[in-house]
Amino acid sequence: MSDRDGTNDGTEFDDDFDTGLLEEELRQAAAVLDPLPPALLQSAVDAYALHDLDARVAELTFDSLVDAIPVRGATDAPRMLTFTAGEVTLDVEVTAQGLIGQVLPPRPARIELLGGPHPTAALTADDMGRFTADTAPSGPFALRLRTGDDVVVTEWLRA
Amino acid sequence: MRTGAVPAAAYHDVPYTRGGTVERSEVGALVRSAVDGDAAAWKAIVEGLGPLVWSVVRAHRLSDADAHEVYQTVWFRFAQHLGRLREPEKAGSWLASTARHECLKVHRNARRLTLTDDPHLLDRVSEDGTPEQSLLEAEEAAAQSERVRRLWQEFEELGERCRQLLRVLIASPPPSYQEVSAALDIAVGSIGPLRQRCLRRLRARLEARGAA
Repeated sequence: MSDRDGTNDGTEFDDDFDTGLLEEELRQAAAVLDPLPPALLQSAVDAYALHDLDARVAELTFDSLVDAIPVRGATDAPRMLTFTAGEVTLDVEVTAQGLIGQVLPPRPARIELLGGPHPTAALTADDMGRFTADTAPSGPFALRLRTGDDVVVTEWLRA
Repeated sequence: MRTGAVPAAAYHDVPYTRGGTVERSEVGALVRSAVDGDAAAWKAIVEGLGPLVWSVVRAHRLSDADAHEVYQTVWFRFAQHLGRLREPEKAGSWLASTARHECLKVHRNARRLTLTDDPHLLDRVSEDGTPEQSLLEAEEAAAQSERVRRLWQEFEELGERCRQLLRVLIASPPPSYQEVSAALDIAVGSIGPLRQRCLRRLRARLEARGAA
């Protein structure tokens, strides 16, 4: 620590040693001034309940937020999402008022809206596969769909 | 459920040094145990790699609310994909890269409405006084605490690229260069030289302030 006053064009070893010390000091500062909040650590521990080897994951195949070209003037257009798991497709439209969706091919289904390890709403898809929720998801969310013995969970997203 | 098959401490017993191989296989073993139903293994993964995910999120300068949501989304998705990871030993890189993508999505969508009336979310955001902080204030000499603050301030004012790289590197335990590469989408080979340069720059700033 005594040799840090500008004489850094010495050997590379000294430089590595010095920067190593500084990095460690910075690491300790981060642990004090910008630590991982304990509540977040706990929520990740609790997320273990979400691992379900029997459910199929419906991958996000379209997200208007990412894939669509923004339309000039359409600032509060609903967000359109498409999830796909094998032959099952799930189209979802998220608005400030809630959520509208359809299961394809059309089929009745029980659907849970998840906001974490526990469901926040239970929905039902009609014979045409259509479903609605009158509260919009906030924060991380996923949909769990049950038809017969089949369980499909959409990839987690942020609303 | 095989409780205790992999003690929560197992992860920490292995030095999490850079570019090593021992701890990589350790992460892989923990993932496989978690897939088999071992909650302690899952907890060890969260404790070992949670700080990395947090560092990646903080490196991207999100609002607190966004940072918290991204952090959770990453772990929810990891839990969901647990049994499908092609390379369990690279779980850290998977998490880092998923966090990066979610952060970039936030930036792309920066103009969307960020107000929320979700009381839980508001609760989550309002955590400031951490135990570490009060401990520091109570026990550390004022001079030392002042040095930490000055260091942090100079770090925050570094160029964006350096600040981002260092924020990821200083996760505790320290990430591997593979994970840093996944977190920031930069080549593994350029991390070492960039790190040296950024730390030298930080030191120069500290010296200019007479703090070294």
